[in-house]
Amino acid sequence: MGSVDLLSLVQSGFTGETVLACLEVSKMQGWVRTTRYLAIISKSGSSAFFVLTSTRVPPISPADVSVEGIVPIDSNFKFELDTETQHEDGHDLYLSVSSNKSKLLFEMMPSSKSNAFVGELYKAVDNVVRKSGPLEYNWLNRYPPVIRHDCSDNGLKEEVQDSVVDSPDSLSLPRESIAKGSTPIAARESVIRYMMSKKEDQYMYKQSFRIFVGTWNVNGQSPTADLTEWLSCDVDPPDIYAIGFQELDLSTEAFLFNDTPRENEWYKAVVSGLHNGAKYTRVKLVRLVGMMLVVFVQEKLRQYVTGVACDTVGTGIMGKMGNKGGVGVRLDFHSTSICFVNAHLAAHVEEYERRNQDYRDIYSRMCFSSHHPPKTIKDHDHIYWLGDLNYRITEIDPKYVKDCVERDSFQKVLEYDQLIKQCRAQTVFVGFKEGSITFKPTYKYDTGTDNWDSSEKNRAPAWCDRILWKGESIEQIEYRSHPFLKISDHKPVSSLFDAKVRIIDAVKYRKIHEEVMKKLDKLENEFLPQVTVETTEITFDTVQFLVPQSKNLIIANTGQVPVKFEFIKKLDDPYYCKDWLNIEPYLGDVIPGEKCEVKVEVRVDKKSAYKLNSGQDQLYDILVLHLEGGKDIFITVSGNYERSCFGTSLETLASIKEPIREISLGSIIDKEKKKDSFSSGEGTYAVPKEVWFLVDHLYRHGTKAKHLFVQPGLHSEIYDIRDWLDNGSQESLPGSVYSVAEALLLLFESCPEPVIPYEMHTACLNCASNFMQCKQIIQGLTYHRKNVFIYLCSFLRELLSHSDDNGLDTKTLAALFGGIFMRDKPVPRDVSKPRSSQQQLDRKKSIFIYHFLVNDYPDLLPPLVSS
Amino acid sequence: MANKAGPQRPNGTAQAKICQFKLVLLGESAVGKSSLVLRFVKGQFHEYQESTIGAAFLTQTVCLDDTTVKFEIWDTAGQERYHSLAPMYYRGAQAAIVVYDVTNQDTFGRAKTWVKELQRQASPNIVIALAGNKADLANKRCVEYEEAQAYAEENGLLFMETSAKTGTNVNEIFLAIAKKLPKSETIGGSGSGQGRRLVESDTTAKTSTSCCK
Ligand SMILES: Nc1nc2c(ncn2[C@@H]2O[C@H](COP(=O)(O)OP(=O)(O)OP(=O)(O)O)[C@@H](O)[C@H]2O)c(=O)[nH]1
Ligand SMILES: [Mg+2]
Repeated sequence: MGSVDLLSLVQSGFTGETVLACLEVSKMQGWVRTTRYLAIISKSGSSAFFVLTSTRVPPISPADVSVEGIVPIDSNFKFELDTETQHEDGHDLYLSVSSNKSKLLFEMMPSSKSNAFVGELYKAVDNVVRKSGPLEYNWLNRYPPVIRHDCSDNGLKEEVQDSVVDSPDSLSLPRESIAKGSTPIAARESVIRYMMSKKEDQYMYKQSFRIFVGTWNVNGQSPTADLTEWLSCDVDPPDIYAIGFQELDLSTEAFLFNDTPRENEWYKAVVSGLHNGAKYTRVKLVRLVGMMLVVFVQEKLRQYVTGVACDTVGTGIMGKMGNKGGVGVRLDFHSTSICFVNAHLAAHVEEYERRNQDYRDIYSRMCFSSHHPPKTIKDHDHIYWLGDLNYRITEIDPKYVKDCVERDSFQKVLEYDQLIKQCRAQTVFVGFKEGSITFKPTYKYDTGTDNWDSSEKNRAPAWCDRILWKGESIEQIEYRSHPFLKISDHKPVSSLFDAKVRIIDAVKYRKIHEEVMKKLDKLENEFLPQVTVETTEITFDTVQFLVPQSKNLIIANTGQVPVKFEFIKKLDDPYYCKDWLNIEPYLGDVIPGEKCEVKVEVRVDKKSAYKLNSGQDQLYDILVLHLEGGKDIFITVSGNYERSCFGTSLETLASIKEPIREISLGSIIDKEKKKDSFSSGEGTYAVPKEVWFLVDHLYRHGTKAKHLFVQPGLHSEIYDIRDWLDNGSQESLPGSVYSVAEALLLLFESCPEPVIPYEMHTACLNCASNFMQCKQIIQGLTYHRKNVFIYLCSFLRELLSHSDDNGLDTKTLAALFGGIFMRDKPVPRDVSKPRSSQQQLDRKKSIFIYHFLVNDYPDLLPPLVSS
Repeated sequence: MANKAGPQRPNGTAQAKICQFKLVLLGESAVGKSSLVLRFVKGQFHEYQESTIGAAFLTQTVCLDDTTVKFEIWDTAGQERYHSLAPMYYRGAQAAIVVYDVTNQDTFGRAKTWVKELQRQASPNIVIALAGNKADLANKRCVEYEEAQAYAEENGLLFMETSAKTGTNVNEIFLAIAKKLPKSETIGGSGSGQGRRLVESDTTAKTSTSCCK
């Protein structure tokens, strides 16, 4: 979305006010960035700085946008632009805004949009300064005071310590995002950079280095002269050399194939011409056709040079050939980035516009792409621009020019220098500086002499060869030409600079870096979610089959940030707790100072009873209460399970003559392990006595009960029946026949396996329509199971013989007991089966049972009840 | 407007990247795991440190010459009944400190079983450090330095005797781990499989943060 769209979108949300500028930024709180939109909005002569949030990024309708904060742009309003901290990736430009006690920090992408926004901000502030009378801010009153960062006492005051990043402001949003554990490490890095740059003066100092910059258009000549004249004319050896040539080779060969023997010739000449007061090492050489730039540094300083890269830009024929253009070398020296550009701009006296254009092309097109993101010329602290820039002296009589320069009176002539004029008009080299020229024009001479060009053209001599620079802390020491070198029609030019370079004191840097890290660690740990639970042990005394019990666990947020808690799965468990446990709610949010009550419920039902009875499981579970982005707390839940015939296998029940609670848990576990060996029936009851008790009771008292099995019993009576069965009693079985009937169903349902074992179900369903085959399956059941099956079916037939009284019909019972005898495997929590296939299965099951309710089957052994 | 470029690092070395690592502390109850973390992170020591019931989480950054290492520290519960939950925390960890108490021989034996468990179950290139804690209680010493040292050497573990009480070797052991950790593969913590996912900004989708995934 372009800024124009954003501006008009925001404007449409503010009727009656004028939105002067709008920009997307990141708000910095702690190390958390959140997207915000800044707007400068004005009305009745005053303006204010608005911080807007949007429900959508970017917003697409005015309704998405709401006002988060307002800072009136009055005499208290201050803002600071932090370009010092702009990062290598070129992304972070900080804007800090303050008014009285509130202070806000934003990060923005340097761009024309941000420039425009900052421009408006400058204007608005300027406006306050220039207005004499008091400005009127009443129009801001229509916004709720809580969002106004103003001087009135009801305004939201943000605590400000030494820096904003030290004190995340009081809005809860960023804390929440910290609590979410999504601490963006990239954001942390940028906060560190920001904080480090704030403390720059504590570990950074500046040191001056001498830089020699030279340029010479050699007109295709070979280096037949000694270059010390040019390169070593100073007493002290420079620290860095940047030497540029133009027209190194004018041959077609060089132009077409960018290949020339001159490169090496001139390079050697340069090397032997370097100052002999120091040892130099080459940093980089770059050449495009006739333009060559070579950078040297003193050997002892080489270790401080990093990030060396070069690029070339052709602006010649067709706007890209290399006969004109520029070559550049960039490097980081200590902590200052330096770029040298050697250019040869368009020729011809009147073509200064072309030269301007060439400059702009080089400036924008030169790109050091080995850096990420790529760097351009403007991304450097120090820029040195040298070359045959080809600007001439025009609009003045050439004869007069020659006269003046002969008398060393350059000032008059320089008034007509195209480069100086263009610079003044800000059409080229904006922001660059050039030292005053105190040397004779460097072009055009008769080769081998100091005489002006004697060809018939009669052109004015000109200062074609120039050196400019841009950047802070650069001082020019010398700017001169070297007329003794006569092999070209140009004279070489050189300049000496003292450039202050930023140097990091590594020891101090590390110390401060560590301090910053510590501070952030502290902050981060402080903002970790914290809760207390009143206990980590939840103990239930006696837990009985089917009887739910619950205890509450209070989770109190004792930290500084909102907490999201969740009971999480342990390792590869399928669920966060065992199946006899239930937690409600198992996840939730708690804000600081608040509590959340969680209900922990134990209920041993038909699914979980067998594992507990058989010792495969215990009433013991450790729950992991996880705080999102923070710690885990273990909650132990335990209790004593009172074993019961419910949840015991038919075989084990048939082998126990006494009530189950009269024998030890150990022997039940033992029996469960060996239950397969009872299948012969030896020494056991033919059917479990519990089954017999229940069926016999129903036989005697319930055959005429209306809708027996269909009508539900009562929970409390079922508990009594369970106790009667488990403990044994002289009294008669308690409860109504309906409760007894339900207890009977429950007894089968809580067995580890249905009467017809799981593995036989498929066979049963496949032959459901064939009674013979169904009988064969029953015949193949183990002793107790066959007995139970036939015993139950006989009883059901008895019931059906009283259908006039009890209203039962065969289909109902067949369906009901089909589901009991061939109960499906339990499915894990939260999994549901497709319904249609289930209906199919259920129908087949009931058909299977149906046979046994309507037919005689004397061929199957009658049930035996041994005693 | 002058464009200042470059993060200011000594000699321009790119130190901007923070490597994030998951570190887990294991060892029998009361050997001083929580105390070591407390000393390392906050510089404090409590005579009556509560036994940890769960897994405490803290972060701490260590600055090395060329990189910055951010530890996400999981201080686990040492009580035996929580043993089965330990894999939740050492799974996906890039470093572990196995702690024993130099005044208690049993805890050294327990430390060895922890090391074995880690070698079997944890990620194969986990950096393991053995810490013989409570080194300040010299007169009650039961585990000899040489014995533990030899064991550590055999198993390729970093080893130091530490004292959370006096602070001896506490920073040092974390620093030694930071140095030993491979920096390149985990820059920015990506692909490290730890619970706390790293995201570029807080506007990205809600992250799932349970540590057992
Ligand atoms: N003298 C001495 N005591 C220590 C040292 N470190 C820990 N302690 C004490 O030892 C006890 C147990 O320390 P913790 O840090 O709670 O031990 P832990 O390993 O975290 O125990 P769990 O959380 O139960 O696994 C506390 O009373 C500490 O004060 C030490 O270096 N020297
Ligand atoms: Mg602990």
